[in-house]
Amino acid sequence: MIVFRDVTLAFNSKVVLDNVSFQADFHEKIAILGGSGGGKTTILRLMLGLIFPDSGKIFIDGQDITVLSEARLREYRMKFSIVFQEGALFDSMNVYENVAFCLREYTKFTEEEIEQRVRELLRRLNIEGAMYLMTNELSGGMQRRVAIARSLAECQPKMMLYDEATTGLDPLTADNICSLINELSQGEPPDRTGFIIVTHKVTDATKVAERYIYIRNGKIAFDGDIQQMRQTDDVEFRKFINELFVMEQCR
Amino acid sequence: MNVRDTISRLQDFYILSVKATLGIVRRPRYFREIIEQMDYMGMGSLFIVFLVSLFIGMALSLQISAELSEMGLKMYTGKIVGLSIIREIGPVAIALSFAGRVGSGMASEIGSMILGHQVDIMRVHGVNPVKKLVTPRVISAVIMLPALTIIGDAASLFGGYYISVFVSHQSGAFYWSQIKDIMDFENIFAGVTKPFIFGYLIACISCYMGLSTRGGARGLRQATTSAVVYSTIMIIVSDFLLTRVLLIVWGSTV
Repeated sequence: MIVFRDVTLAFNSKVVLDNVSFQADFHEKIAILGGSGGGKTTILRLMLGLIFPDSGKIFIDGQDITVLSEARLREYRMKFSIVFQEGALFDSMNVYENVAFCLREYTKFTEEEIEQRVRELLRRLNIEGAMYLMTNELSGGMQRRVAIARSLAECQPKMMLYDEATTGLDPLTADNICSLINELSQGEPPDRTGFIIVTHKVTDATKVAERYIYIRNGKIAFDGDIQQMRQTDDVEFRKFINELFVMEQCR
Repeated sequence: MNVRDTISRLQDFYILSVKATLGIVRRPRYFREIIEQMDYMGMGSLFIVFLVSLFIGMALSLQISAELSEMGLKMYTGKIVGLSIIREIGPVAIALSFAGRVGSGMASEIGSMILGHQVDIMRVHGVNPVKKLVTPRVISAVIMLPALTIIGDAASLFGGYYISVFVSHQSGAFYWSQIKDIMDFENIFAGVTKPFIFGYLIACISCYMGLSTRGGARGLRQATTSAVVYSTIMIIVSDFLLTRVLLIVWGSTV
């Protein structure tokens, strides 16, 4: 269980999150929606203990992670895997080395075992052919796939975090990434691996998520499912999700 | 920037330097990164250090010969060139070239990793970025800068020799005998100690600037520039302090 309790954070006196409170189970499929610079990615970074709030608490499985040291945070970070916007791949390494990174750092696998695991992961994500390419030789979609492969290499996370996983991709590739996200979260709750996807692309969010949280001016302006989202009378939020209504009318 | 920010940044820099130093004795150790960095810092800087040092030696010898010949003392060119190069100019000039090439490289590389969330990924996967990125750079700089200084000093002395013998028409044997005379423990110790300190400062400052990069391309430019500027200032200031301390240690009077 993830609990945000009255979390407030400001960067250089600009309030990014203002008394944000919500809770989520690890098996949930959540989309955090909002405009650029609205604090969506900040929520993911707070959840992982990469940054700390100015006030408020963040509980992961009952433990307040805002008081933990860097060494103790690892135990809680291991519950998640994150795919950053544009992959955040190590650009001095090839695809194989990127995916093998965590295996080399924290497991005692032999090089043969690592290669076998990496190959298996890349095959599962349909990018085995790119194994020895440098990351700058990959398309945007392939970079996201490699980032997903890397995030799955070391452990089986309880929850995946996707930061703008489909932003900057053409509709077809974005659709493929959405299918992949769904594939990785198959099964019935509470046994499945859930995810939180941060995006401003409403149509992509509706392809994967079951719960939607809309952030506006650092506050949660909406938290509900797709039915509630369709019926919202929040004018500004309706404008934001207008793309969704247009798509539905076209259908 | 206000006083509070400055103190906070100094504190962060101090903590980073201590953590990077402790990383030398704590596991895990990243030998591959150390070798890679040594290659980048050492082999990559060899040509520029050789060239800079050679011309510094030549210019110094030319200037000193011209001044001393007016007093009829130009046979002492070797002694003055040697002493200046080994104790002062060699370590400082090479450290400045090193800061310009390697310091800026370290800051921009780590800075772009910060902006591309690569450092966040390391932290998420439990890899300590200080041990992985900073400690190998500190170790490599502390090893490679003294090595480059020795090579640079030799290049400067050869530059000085060339001018003394072929331009100023002095005796080559006398030039080298003067150099040999000043090669005592005190001078060599002073010349070799400084690069260790300079290497440590350059690596710590540059890595700190890289890790504190914020705000896109402009932030990266600022971090790179700051790395070189602060390294340069600290080289000059610490050179003065080290010279003062060493003179006191050896009991020299000023």
